[in-house]
This record gives sequence, C-alpha cells and structure tokens, in this order.
Amino acid sequence: MKSIYPLFKKDCRIMVSGKFFLAAFASLLLYTLFINFSYLNFMDANANIYNVYLYDPEGTYPRVSPLIHSADSAEELNEALVRDTSGGVGIYIKDGKPSVVLYAGTEKVDRHRADYALSLLYSGNGYTPETVGDNTPEMKQRREITCELLFIEIVAVGFLGIASVLFKEKQMGVIRVHAVMPFSKSLFVFSKVFLFLLTDLVFAAFMTLLNVGPAEAGRILPAVLIQTGVLSLIMALTGFCCTMLLKDFRQFSLAYLVIALFTATPVFLSANTAIKMDWILYHPFYHVYMGLKNAFFGMPVTTPAYYICAACVIILLFGTAIMAFRKEMGREG
Amino acid sequence: MIEVKNLTFSYRKDKQALHGLNFTVEDGEIFGFLGPNGSGKSTTQKILTGILKEYDGIVSLFGKDLRRAHTQDFFQKIGVLFEFPYLYANLSALDNLHYFSSFYPKERLRDAEELLDELEFKRDFLRKPVSSYSKGMRQRVSMARALISNPKLLFLDEPTSGLDPTGAVLFRRIIENERRKGTTVFVTTHNMLDADLLCDRVAFISNGNIVALDTPKNLKEQNSNRSIVVDYLYQGRRKEQTIQAPELKSGIHFPYDELISIHSQEPTLEDIFIQYAGRRLS
Repeated sequence: MKSIYPLFKKDCRIMVSGKFFLAAFASLLLYTLFINFSYLNFMDANANIYNVYLYDPEGTYPRVSPLIHSADSAEELNEALVRDTSGGVGIYIKDGKPSVVLYAGTEKVDRHRADYALSLLYSGNGYTPETVGDNTPEMKQRREITCELLFIEIVAVGFLGIASVLFKEKQMGVIRVHAVMPFSKSLFVFSKVFLFLLTDLVFAAFMTLLNVGPAEAGRILPAVLIQTGVLSLIMALTGFCCTMLLKDFRQFSLAYLVIALFTATPVFLSANTAIKMDWILYHPFYHVYMGLKNAFFGMPVTTPAYYICAACVIILLFGTAIMAFRKEMGREG
Repeated sequence: MIEVKNLTFSYRKDKQALHGLNFTVEDGEIFGFLGPNGSGKSTTQKILTGILKEYDGIVSLFGKDLRRAHTQDFFQKIGVLFEFPYLYANLSALDNLHYFSSFYPKERLRDAEELLDELEFKRDFLRKPVSSYSKGMRQRVSMARALISNPKLLFLDEPTSGLDPTGAVLFRRIIENERRKGTTVFVTTHNMLDADLLCDRVAFISNGNIVALDTPKNLKEQNSNRSIVVDYLYQGRRKEQTIQAPELKSGIHFPYDELISIHSQEPTLEDIFIQYAGRRLS
C-alpha cells in the first residue's frame, strides 16, 4: 500500500505539467463569472415571464386577472402557445373546470408555471398559490445552473482529463514499465481515479460555495459531494477503460463524442425541458444527474437501490479498468 | 535460474507466436536469445517477466513455477530493460529513477547518481527533463532503472540499441560486471556482435522455434569448414591460398618468401543463423 504515495505524487506531477489544475481553475473562474455576471442578469431580464392565455367558451370565470390574454377558440389558444417562445401557459376551461396546458399535446406541465397561471385565473377569489420550496427565483436559478455546469465539467472535461494523462503515459510507453514493478497493479488505477475524484470534489465544493453562497452551500454540500463523487468515479473509470482499450486519441475522440453528446444531451433535454422521453428512466446518467440536482435543491437521494446500483457500477468499472490496464501492459510492440 | 519446458503462446487463435520452446539458463550465466523481428524473442521475454500470463507449458524462475512465483517478491528480484527507453519525458533522469526505485525496498537500492556516473551519463542533464535527451542518454537512464534495484536476474532487450560504438562497449562492460557480481542475464537481441562478445550461450529463435542452442564458440566450430586463408609473397608477387586447418600441423607446404597474414574462415553468428533459419537476423 505504501506504493500509492509515489504513484499519487507522480500523477500529480503529470497533471501539473499538463496544466490540468490550471485548466480546472480557469473553468471554475469562467463558470463563476458566467453565472454571476451573465446568466443571472439574463434570467432577471426575462423575469416577467409566462404569458397566460385563457379559452373559456362558457364564460365560467368572468373576473380574471388583467394579465391573462383571452382566446376566442381552442385553435387560437394553441396558436398563441405555439407562437409564445417565453414559456407561455394556456388554460382551457372545459365543463367549468380549468385544465392547464403548455402547448397543444403536452400532457404534464411545470408545477411552478401551472400554479402561477391558476393564481391569475382565481385572482381575487382567495386562491393561495402552493409554496414549492423556499427558494427565491434567483436562488433557484443559481442552483440549477451550478448543477448543470458541474455535471458538464465532470462528464466532459473530467473524462477528457484522465484520458489526456493516460494517453501521455501510453505514448511514453511507461505503462509497460509498471508491469514489472513490484506493486499491486490495481494501485495504478486507484491512484489516478482517486486523484481525479479529489480534484472533482474540490471543484464541486468551490463551485457550490461561490455560486450558491456559503450559507446554503453548508447545508447542501455533503449531498452534493456524495453525488459528485458517484459521477466522478463513474466518469474517471470510464475514461480509464476507454483510454486503455482504444488505440489512439482519434478513436478516443469518437468515444468522447458519444459519451459527451449522446449520453449527456438527452439527460439535459429530459431534465430541463418539456421534451418527453419515456425511455430516459432507463438512462443511468439521468438518475445520477437527478441525484445531483436533488442534492443542489436540498433533497438528497435516499433510495438505497440508487446507491447499491452506483456501487455495483463503480466496482464493475474498476474491475474492467484493471483488466484493460493488464491488457495494455502485455500489448505487442 | 530459468527453466522453460514446452512453452507455447498465441496472441490470437490463428497466431501462434511460440511453438514449444525448451531451454534452461544457469545462475550467473549470460544467455542470448537471438532472432529477427517477429521471431518470438520479445514474447518469450514478456512471459519470463510475468507480463504475459496465458501461456502453455512450464516456466520456472528462481526454482519456482512462474504462475506461483508471480508475486511482489519476484518483481523485486528482476530488472528489465525494454527495447525502447520508456521513461517519463516530463521528469528528469533523477526523478525517473527516484520514482521507479520507490517501489523497491530501500536496502536493495543503489545510489541513482553513482549509477548514472557509471553509465557515463552527462551530469549537466541530471535534472533536465528526459524530453531533452538524445536516444543514447535515454538508453543510459533506462539501463540505470533496470539496475537500480540490484536485480538477481536481468532481462535486457536490445541493450545496445541507440548507442554509439563507445556506448555499446560501455554497456557490454557493465553487463559483464553484473555477471561478475552473480547476476544472471537474459539478453534478447538481433545484434550478433553483442551476442558473440557477451553471451556464454545463445539460442537462435526463428518463427517461434529454437533452431539452435549452444555457446557461440561451439556453434562456430560446428559450422566451420575449418579452412584457413594464407596471404603471402612469392617471387615478388602477392598470392592467397586456402588450406584446411589440420594441414597446418605439418607446416606450410607451398613455396613462399614471406607470410603476410593467416585468417581462419570461421563463420559469424549471423552466417550460422542463416544456415539454421534460412533468413537473416536483421
């Protein structure tokens, strides 16, 4: 086990010489500046959102808020929703009962928007909107965007980071030298993954502190770090396996595209937009992303099945990484 | 020290690299494994160093079956020089040596700077990154890495590759010194000069088979036509005549005024290899 220290020290030196820590610091700075000086201002400028359109053919609700736009037919309501690009909400009164739609064909609506639309409908009739959490709109946006950027950083950048370090070692041929060194070969994998885990945890802690604020960060940080740890371990081990199994960086770039685009994109679309994908529940990254998002909103995942599955995946990937490492050591040439 | 019986190995089902090798290497011997590229030398070395495991046959090192001897203790007793100088290019020679030596028990280790001095490594470069070194300098650092743990069994793959003639002489001297200390040396090469000058015994490997195994001297003797070429002057003219070695017993029978030179027509190891394998070493 004492071999872990020189391995870890050497990995740190490679990462320092490859300016990895500098790149991570630059990302942290860039994300923080973006969130605080660009994203929040943009969202604030668009704060008067949610046009509400009403189609009430029987005139059941004669005294509604003046903020509501009336539609004369169901078609007009649908057209207004389609035209509205700022997240308009429609209310269709049928048999005296309001039904909320985002746009034609949507079965479920955002609770926040639905509640807002109904509060305008029942304006002056003692309707109390439901309180969903205790976040201000700004805090909600901070949590959301910090979670998304952290997810991107770990999935895409962290994955590339471990590959860049390992491809360097592959090119230098030193992986073969480790084959004849007197230490357990699993330590080679462990050292790298541990270093990337540590880096991601520090990154996540700073991202949370700087963008969610110290007071809230103190409350959510343990859960955020646990979810970051799960995601970081999965990505680092996947990156390790890909680097060992794939011949060169060109092949790796393709794998990177598949993982970064085709894996992360549906998760983002499904979790942040109204796009409906039933199969997303079978997408492992969706659960990890939602775990991270829930952690940011102070509702950590408590389902044991989630942690058991995550642990199994990590163990499986670790075993695959060791096998791939051994294969690389014995490769011809 | 090394005992190999019926060793076979395949990278794929249709690609058998070794076809039942048999050989032994004695303690303190310098054993040469000669063959052209792709003949199976490096594969054999990878098996002996525990890198490749899915082989058939029996391989014993230090008196133990390699499958059971494959422990940290085994790796502490061997030193390996690879065909190419695999080093961390961003680290200096000293940092590389300190890093790789950190996996061995301290009591086994040699002083890195002393070792590099012995290998005539330029001191100015000790703390400069390996990326700035010539191939010869990298080879010196790699050799130092292989020797730093005082191994009992040394595997050398093309040890003089990338070295100038002076460097090659130095490396041969260092390998000799190691043997004098009792180290067993397994040299894999297609350099017949190295094999001839260094090895107590050599094995010729061709297409995964050992086609000959003996001392370089015996191999040459067995494959020599025992002829001798005599250069001489007779009546003011330079002449050359080939005679058989036994004829020399009773003196030179042809008339001559002055002998210029007598050359034994001993074949080189390369000639013998071609004779056995039907192809050149390089």
